[in-house]
Amino acid sequence: MISRRKSLQTIAAGFGAAIGSSMFPEISRAASAASSGGPKRVIFFMQNQGFDPATCIPVGMNSSGSLAKAVLPEPIAALEPFKDKLHIINGLHGKHTSPSHSAFFGALGGYRGSDGVPPSASTIDYELSKVLPETLLPHLCIGMDSMENMTAKPTVANLSARGAGKPIFMHSNPNHLYQMLYGGISQGDIRNQHEARSGMLDRIEKMAAAKGEALPMSDKQRYGEFVQGFNDMNGLRERLGNVSDHLKHFAPEVDERYTKPQFETDWHDTLLDLGISALKSGTTSVLTIGSGRGEIFGAWKGLGIEKQGHNLGHMEQPDNPIWVKIRQYNSRMLVKLMEELESVPEGSGTMMDNTLIVYTSNNADKQHTSGANWPVMLLGNCNGAFKTGCFTQLDGKRPINALYTSILRSTGVEVDRFNMTDKMAAKYDSGNGPLREVLA
Amino acid sequence: MKGQFRLNPPLGIRALVQTRKPKLEQRNERLRVNAPSSITVKDKFLSYCKFHRLRTMISCKSTFHPVTLAVTICYFLIPSVHSADDTYTPGQPVHGDFENFAVTFLENHCYECHDDESTKGDLNLLDLGPADETNAAVWKSVWAQVALGEMPPKKKDQPETIERLQFSDRIVDELKEVMKDKGGFHAHLDPHKGNFIDHNLLFGPLPEGIKLEPTSSPARIWRVTPQEHITRLNELINTEPAFDPEKPGVRTRGDVVPTNHGGELKLYFGTDRIIKWQGGTVAYATSVKSVPVVLASARHHGLENYPDFYTVNSAEATQILGMAENILRYMAYGPLSIANPEQITDDPNSYKMEGDIRGLPTALVYNTKVVRPLTPVYDLMKESEFTDERLRAAVDFLFEALTFRPPSTKESNDYLVMVKDTIAKIGREDGAFMGLSSIFLDRDALFRPELVETGKADEYGRIMLQDWELGLAVNHALRYIKPDQKLREAIVSGKMRTREDVNREITRMLADDAIRKPRILRFFRDFFDHDLGGYICKDEKALSATGVRSRGESHYRAMFDATASTDRLIELILEEDKNVLKELLTTQKVVATKNDNTYFGRKHTDEERKIAIAAKKKAQQEQEEKDAAELKTAKAELDELVAKAKENPDDKKLARTLVQKEKALQSLKKKIANAKKERNRGGGANVEVAEANLSGPKIYARVSRPSFGSGSMKPDRVLATAPEGERMGILTQPSWLVSHSDAMDNHAILRGRWVRERLLGGGVPDVPITVDAMLPDEPNTTLRSRMRVTREKYCWTCHEKMDPLGLPFEMYNHAGIFRTTELSEPVDTSGEIIDSGDPNLDGPVENALDMIQKLAESERVEQVFVRHAFRFWMGRNETLNDAPVLQEAHKAYRDNDGSMKALITSLVTSDAFLHRKAE
Repeated sequence: MISRRKSLQTIAAGFGAAIGSSMFPEISRAASAASSGGPKRVIFFMQNQGFDPATCIPVGMNSSGSLAKAVLPEPIAALEPFKDKLHIINGLHGKHTSPSHSAFFGALGGYRGSDGVPPSASTIDYELSKVLPETLLPHLCIGMDSMENMTAKPTVANLSARGAGKPIFMHSNPNHLYQMLYGGISQGDIRNQHEARSGMLDRIEKMAAAKGEALPMSDKQRYGEFVQGFNDMNGLRERLGNVSDHLKHFAPEVDERYTKPQFETDWHDTLLDLGISALKSGTTSVLTIGSGRGEIFGAWKGLGIEKQGHNLGHMEQPDNPIWVKIRQYNSRMLVKLMEELESVPEGSGTMMDNTLIVYTSNNADKQHTSGANWPVMLLGNCNGAFKTGCFTQLDGKRPINALYTSILRSTGVEVDRFNMTDKMAAKYDSGNGPLREVLA
Repeated sequence: MKGQFRLNPPLGIRALVQTRKPKLEQRNERLRVNAPSSITVKDKFLSYCKFHRLRTMISCKSTFHPVTLAVTICYFLIPSVHSADDTYTPGQPVHGDFENFAVTFLENHCYECHDDESTKGDLNLLDLGPADETNAAVWKSVWAQVALGEMPPKKKDQPETIERLQFSDRIVDELKEVMKDKGGFHAHLDPHKGNFIDHNLLFGPLPEGIKLEPTSSPARIWRVTPQEHITRLNELINTEPAFDPEKPGVRTRGDVVPTNHGGELKLYFGTDRIIKWQGGTVAYATSVKSVPVVLASARHHGLENYPDFYTVNSAEATQILGMAENILRYMAYGPLSIANPEQITDDPNSYKMEGDIRGLPTALVYNTKVVRPLTPVYDLMKESEFTDERLRAAVDFLFEALTFRPPSTKESNDYLVMVKDTIAKIGREDGAFMGLSSIFLDRDALFRPELVETGKADEYGRIMLQDWELGLAVNHALRYIKPDQKLREAIVSGKMRTREDVNREITRMLADDAIRKPRILRFFRDFFDHDLGGYICKDEKALSATGVRSRGESHYRAMFDATASTDRLIELILEEDKNVLKELLTTQKVVATKNDNTYFGRKHTDEERKIAIAAKKKAQQEQEEKDAAELKTAKAELDELVAKAKENPDDKKLARTLVQKEKALQSLKKKIANAKKERNRGGGANVEVAEANLSGPKIYARVSRPSFGSGSMKPDRVLATAPEGERMGILTQPSWLVSHSDAMDNHAILRGRWVRERLLGGGVPDVPITVDAMLPDEPNTTLRSRMRVTREKYCWTCHEKMDPLGLPFEMYNHAGIFRTTELSEPVDTSGEIIDSGDPNLDGPVENALDMIQKLAESERVEQVFVRHAFRFWMGRNETLNDAPVLQEAHKAYRDNDGSMKALITSLVTSDAFLHRKAE
């Protein structure tokens, strides 16, 4: 096992001052700083078509209480060994997000969203990526869909945003993502692609810089950001390349699932592997997983589910063999995430001790929904910052924005509301500040 | 020069004032002895100082006579009203120490109310100190108050015009200096602060002592807007129809790519070839290939495109690269880049869609007709071997398509080398696409330069734009796509170098309807802000109470339709080109969809609502009875047939009739059940609104490519007349009213602010951060009543500029529906125009129509409109030096019967447009 401390030592020995903490700040912070509570990284797992509470709340559990003696329902039974890290929350709402047929950006933004509606503000995952310990690639979004959609439309943007009108694209082709993350340490075609793109970006940067020399002073700063953008793009590739020895320990094996996938779930799995590797290597602090990519379609043929897309959303989820399979698949992914992060020491514990996973749906509780109930599962207590091992039944009067406020608070951001004006809150939020039921 | 205004080391204002106060008191005392009572000490003192300036300076060195000393002190403490050549020139730095300058101004005009003893507005300026990072907000506020003429209060002695201007300039210079490493100070560049320059100085006589300099705009680069960018990219993959004079409203080549059904700006691939899809609207939206806009526009919005607003960051650059490869592949292969070969057929039934594949790209069928532009990229990719010639043709084509000018030899060579390198590294196809994608990130594909790197400066240091820079500036004044052939020829043949050249081209382009000019419409969107309605998130219950359909996305889609309708109405007025502003403000014409019968309807009174409910109930009962009777008859007929069939089991004809009757019965049952379901959901006649009957000739509005299957926006409209006495111009269109509303109600403050700024040319200072700008949450109380809190003295100073101008619009509810009552009482629509700057305008108004009629007649309003047009086409706020340009533009507008074309021509041929000055 490669410990985080060992990783740092490897880097320091291999690259000395040329790399330094500024090149890989998160690793150095993680290695040197004692855990002080609150997450160092956050994962959002957004399954489309709704998250029916009956598929996660233990039978007979009608009010808030401990999960210790409860038996988790079949769809999420894989999480049974992780019950002490689990917090099932029922009774948040998203009525203001118009989640029927997906709230799109509104699911993570806490505002009205719909098909074709651009983001009206930044989303929580992006905001967290700005305040969590700095990493080379602070925010990584991956989107899982049918094979046809992932190949014909490898980059779509439906869930995350940097601000109003600023969508963030999801990566859906694992080959492209692998090339971006590990092109510098790969061989063959991927290596060639990586080098060609690096060379091209380098030239673009030089040309852009040359065209900026004659600019008036007032424009230089603004244009400088444009040139700096290439520097950042090149810098990311270069810095990832510079720590390639370190990354080698985390890079997944490229196998036929990448190049000759049998089902879309092969790509789902490889995308997850890449996401996990980015977290473990300290490259990323926020991972957003869009299963169904924020829309109301998607396919899981690798699970033996022949039906796909829209119809799945019309089905009742509880006791439905199709939905049991999809939710079980999600749960296995969550388990994999946790086990992988537990395998890496961090501070006096493991990476998982400093990680929060938010599992929910961009569709609230079902495809055609008013958003009156928006079930969520949290995994990870982040050194005691979050309450875990319990089920909480809320009264449906606090919005998902309050959950996002809670997570922001846990990272030290003093905020009472997230993306909700006082005027909207007067209508949609019975409280103010974080959810006391969530933060320890 | 700026640096010399800084104190080094800084000395606090309080300290400075305290050391000087005895002297000032002494000064005042001495002057008071000799002053006639009718003349204030300050007046006498100022005139004395002006008159004796030179002599007192000499005296200062030679004598310490008490009176002379007092005058000498005066000289150093009173702002330097005149610079060395005895004039004030806007934009020229004023010499002297800022702090002394500031203290004197504050002492003469501000401390009386804002010192230790009297901290009006909870502001003590003695504690302010020199401008720095921490007090920049207060200094900014001081600047705003003084520049707007809000302070000193009207009843107090006022600084002279030049003194006020210099003080404003000096604060801005100081803030720019102290904030330069801390994000900079840009407030004075914000279009919302454009009115901080006194309107009367721009259009009236200038006080003695002000000398203007021939104007110009700064050399600069101007980032393309999201709309421009998408429209530019759209040219690469989609062939838009040519202009059809028979259907002038239909979207054609050169029009902007509009937002889609949900208000999102996207580039669509191949939608003009789709002939079949599986599933409904959402399935279609997911199946088609589209990419969202990458460049962002953060403003909300007003004039949203000054050159200094935006750049392109790394996230955007990364996304542009990804998008570029998609576009290039489509340019080369068309739908084959996003679909399987069997999906491309003219016989939609030949492609078998197995099972439920809704939402997948394989759920589409494309016809075989090639409609995309076939470009050198297509020519290149169809070859089995790449030649340098083909590669260069593709590079040069793409460069000009993306930057609107041909590449230089060096640029062409650089990109050619880049493409060849990537081909060498990763192979023919991938390498070509990757290499060509780099051109999408060329500086000039994302920014339009106006750098005047060649050209000779005149005596004022100004250089005139020429050739490609001038040609593209003129093109950009009207267009989003590249110059047409005539303009291109003029540029390359050296005929874009003079004012006459510009006049020739702009006149030609303005006269030709086939040359689409979306920038003009963009100006009106920026001016009116009528395109925001679909983005105002409405509370469902509050929306339902207005009388419009509140379920799902219905209202939002209606608003995006309304935006397109208002756009078209503006275009119709522009086509007439007579008294354009007045027409926009007062027109009775309405471009309408069927939905607009509700939005242009009248909200029922309580009594009318009761009657409507009763009538609806009765109609429903009658319908139910009719349905029941029909069902009974159908059942009886079926029973009879069944009996007959039993008796005649071998009668095949009878058997077939029986099957048909059974089906018909089932169909009838389903129809009745659906009607009942719809009734239970509140469907049927609208009991809340007396719907308008908008009818007239068929016309068209410009809408998005099909983005939502059968639910995509439709261009069909009628040109109708608004219900009499209920509407007047754009400000009473639902699109504008909803754009200036909020989730729950009207937004009278926002509406009033719009009128104050955009029509009256007034300014409103930013809301102080200490103000909790919230109206009380009191259900069942009118907005007017809840706005009582803004009438508190501290708030009213600003709110009197807005509220009385916004409240007349209470004659409409927050969906834009006309109403005569509110909460069962007659709605109060009264308002007032206060301190407009034109005494003829000031006074109470009965309602919005009364107010708009007054405003539409005002010359000042017309001038303010010209100021906004200036800002839009110059990309910056006006300065005093621009006064001649503004006056000339206004004259051109007036002399040509309110012609927008004349106004634009005047602006685009002005010095402010043609000349650039490097720093």
